[in-house]
Amino acid sequence: MLKYSFKRVLWVFPTLIGVLLLLFSLTYFLPGDPATAILGPRATPELIEEINSRLHLDRSMPVRLGYYLKGIAQGDLGTSVWSGHSVSSLMAEALGHTAILAVTTLAVAAIIGIILGAFGAIRQDTPISGIVTIVSLMGVALPDFVAALLLMLVFCVTIPILPAIGAGEGFWDILVHLILPATALGIGWVGYLARLTQESMVDVLEADYIRTARAFAIPQKSIAYVYALKNAIIPTITVLGLGVGKLLGGAVFVEIIFSRPGLGKLIVDAVYARDFPVLQGGILVATVLFVLANLVADISYGFVNPQIQYD
Amino acid sequence: MNMTSTDIIQKKRSLTPGWTQNLTIIFKSIAKKKGGLIGCIFITIMLLCAIAAPWLAPFDPNEQNIVQRFAGPGLTHLLGTDYLGRDTLSRIIYGCRIAVLVAFGAVSLSSIFGVFLGVVAGYNEGKKFDYFIIWLFDIVRSFPQIILALAIVAVLGPSLINVVVALAFTAFPFYGRIARAQTLSVKETDYVKAAKAMGQKPIKIILKHITPNIMAPVIVCLGMDMATMVIWESGLSFLGLGVRPPTASWGIMLRNGYKYIQVSPWTIVWPALAIAFSMIAFSLFSDGLRVALDPKERNR
Amino acid sequence: MKENEPLLDEPLLEVSKLTLDYNLGKRKMRALDRVSFQIEKGEIIGVAGESGCGKSTLGLAIIKLLPKIASIRRGEILFEGQDLLKLSEEQMNKKIRGQKISMIFQNPQDALNPVFTIEKQMVDILKTQRLYKNKRIKSAKFFRDQAIDRLKATGIADPAARLSNYPFEFSGGMKQRVMIGMALSSGTSLLLADEATTALDVTIEAQINKLIADLAKEYKTSVLYVSHNLGVLAELADRIMIMYAGRVFEMGTTRDVFDFPSHPYSAALLESMPSRQEKGKRLLSIPGFVPPLDNLPSGCSFHPRCKFAEDICKKEVPPMEEVTPGHFSACFLDTKRGRKRLQWI
Repeated sequence: MLKYSFKRVLWVFPTLIGVLLLLFSLTYFLPGDPATAILGPRATPELIEEINSRLHLDRSMPVRLGYYLKGIAQGDLGTSVWSGHSVSSLMAEALGHTAILAVTTLAVAAIIGIILGAFGAIRQDTPISGIVTIVSLMGVALPDFVAALLLMLVFCVTIPILPAIGAGEGFWDILVHLILPATALGIGWVGYLARLTQESMVDVLEADYIRTARAFAIPQKSIAYVYALKNAIIPTITVLGLGVGKLLGGAVFVEIIFSRPGLGKLIVDAVYARDFPVLQGGILVATVLFVLANLVADISYGFVNPQIQYD
Repeated sequence: MNMTSTDIIQKKRSLTPGWTQNLTIIFKSIAKKKGGLIGCIFITIMLLCAIAAPWLAPFDPNEQNIVQRFAGPGLTHLLGTDYLGRDTLSRIIYGCRIAVLVAFGAVSLSSIFGVFLGVVAGYNEGKKFDYFIIWLFDIVRSFPQIILALAIVAVLGPSLINVVVALAFTAFPFYGRIARAQTLSVKETDYVKAAKAMGQKPIKIILKHITPNIMAPVIVCLGMDMATMVIWESGLSFLGLGVRPPTASWGIMLRNGYKYIQVSPWTIVWPALAIAFSMIAFSLFSDGLRVALDPKERNR
Repeated sequence: MKENEPLLDEPLLEVSKLTLDYNLGKRKMRALDRVSFQIEKGEIIGVAGESGCGKSTLGLAIIKLLPKIASIRRGEILFEGQDLLKLSEEQMNKKIRGQKISMIFQNPQDALNPVFTIEKQMVDILKTQRLYKNKRIKSAKFFRDQAIDRLKATGIADPAARLSNYPFEFSGGMKQRVMIGMALSSGTSLLLADEATTALDVTIEAQINKLIADLAKEYKTSVLYVSHNLGVLAELADRIMIMYAGRVFEMGTTRDVFDFPSHPYSAALLESMPSRQEKGKRLLSIPGFVPPLDNLPSGCSFHPRCKFAEDICKKEVPPMEEVTPGHFSACFLDTKRGRKRLQWI
């Protein structure tokens, strides 16, 4: 177990180096001159030169990378050319909002999805498994931003009962502001998780060890919700773990549509504004978190499924 | 009874039907189930719209008619008009063209590239080249897909081709991994070993023996990926980082709809439905494909 | 001490004319056709036959764990005088399964739940049994000790430590021992063993079979031992039943059936055992294939492959006849069966 985890963790480092290289090349080739973008009409050659030297834009790529890495080591991701705030502080704030959205979405989607899927598998003759199929299809048909737009249309414009903008302040306000975005993001997940759980559960219920449990008169409820579920849930948990990482960088559209301050919105705004430091920092943070989430999911899989430890 | 290498290869050849027969068998089994049939029908509709757009669309998608802007569904304009008075139905049909182009284009590009790298890497398992390729795959896979696609389009500039390239770039590692994993197991089969023993050149082995046998999971991935590509393109266009206006893509239509959501709800609903339609089409089809190709499922 | 001890005359299990179909869409496979037999208290019955003859279905039918596609057309399964087919699921769970009738299966690899420890699985079973007997649930330690005792009885070394292991940490033979520990106790009246050792190594197989035989004797448990391995049955079983395509062809004491097989199929089976043939000669194999259960031949289902087949065999189903006392066979062949050995070759 430890050996596997260790190797797995070790592999992250060369990967991250490659990530940095790729990231840096991308921003290197990004068209647009941040200096003129910031200064606008006030641009004079001297000011342009000053900004260029401040941001090291006049040096070659390896040198720029060197400065950047040095900065990271000191915890400094640069300063936003647009707002002047430090990139790290912008990240922290944005991450908070995105994290709340991601966790809420997944938590609710998981509860609904798993229950739905489990029921669908246990009572295969009832219409519940049909419901699972429909919900799953709905989730596929309505990707997050399409769902977000439609929800906004219905609940903010046609019948204006829910807020369309921002993240809110104060506990209940924040919750209310979460409803639509989380629903938009979550529809797909509920369908997916329900189907995953149902298929997995159906397979498990046909397994030999379930037959053994029945042969020893273990009550049906216990078989379904303890013996079978723990096995069936394994793929679902893995997916959830990966989902957190995915949503941290992947809630872009929902955040933009509902004007929620989050990581995705930060990155896209930085693209529009040619705000290189924020762009770099944002993509880096999103990527690193994604990699970490995958790592944790991989390793914790070993705990849920004891067999993996010894592979 | 010991079979010689030639025997094994010949036997394998006679057991595997040609690829046209394979396709017919696959399509038949997809169409057998309800879901797969609907998927096939929907996709056919989409392909029709894409190919025959100029003949099917009642109006020119870029023809502006300010007088009639924001019209609701009516007799002349069946689905209404957008903020510039352009006919929505025509734009949807032409948008289908973009969707199909992106879906097939990006998926073809990424799968060909990815599978090629994956197979070569798998064939040279354990060597430096293999590790290098895996490293490449993992780097690209570490980025959240949209973000990476975003960044690439930002660098290259918004246009249809750039969108296809960007999306293909984010997707190729997935095909690569599948192809590599499959190659690792196919490598150990008797007929590959026999071919090697007979001195067949590696390239020939890869093309003739390995590639056809790894395609099943790749094909399944293709199906689902096409759906994803349509979403991403729409999303990128929605952000203004995709296809350039005035081209009619569903994403751009959504973007305009979003801007004018207070004024005219209809401009959002139609492209949303179009996207939903294509999603259902690709999803049902790829599900049917998956079931048709999975030997275990065939007996259910 | 067994509750409700049956009368000495009454067999423990009496199966009469059990007929069972598997419904696969349009096809209907007759898995069991008018199967009848008895098991007395404390005896070991071997059920032999090729794959697909219905022997596994028989065990599942008795403990009523058949898949949904199975439907019982006719027949009775009298256990201690009660027809099991008339009992509800609840009653089966409450009184029969895991208590009076237990079953162990072929593949120990998959028979135990991979994500729970042995302790949890055994304790759950023990708790359930107490619950159904309406006895108070005792402390965790009580059940733990019981589990340890059960494991000890099956010869597992250091049972206390093994309790906290997961199934994948056990070898195949040990897993089967665990299953036996779960299934066999002093309260078990009937053990259904479905190819219990087929998936194990030969040496382990011998150990496990001996374990089953010893424990069965100690607890006075009857055993219905299903296996396609006639050698194993020769050693273990008191009586033997030979099945083919869902029907019983021959039944009698092991001695009688092995020494004087009076059904051509039994004779062929016995002669095709490698141990019974001379070295250097070709191995006997019965020509033809086992017929598909949805398309059985008319009359005697063995006639297409039978060396001794006659016209009547194609038309009528041979009834079970008593050849010598206690030795039954379903064949029209009129030889001085029972005293003369049928030769296939």
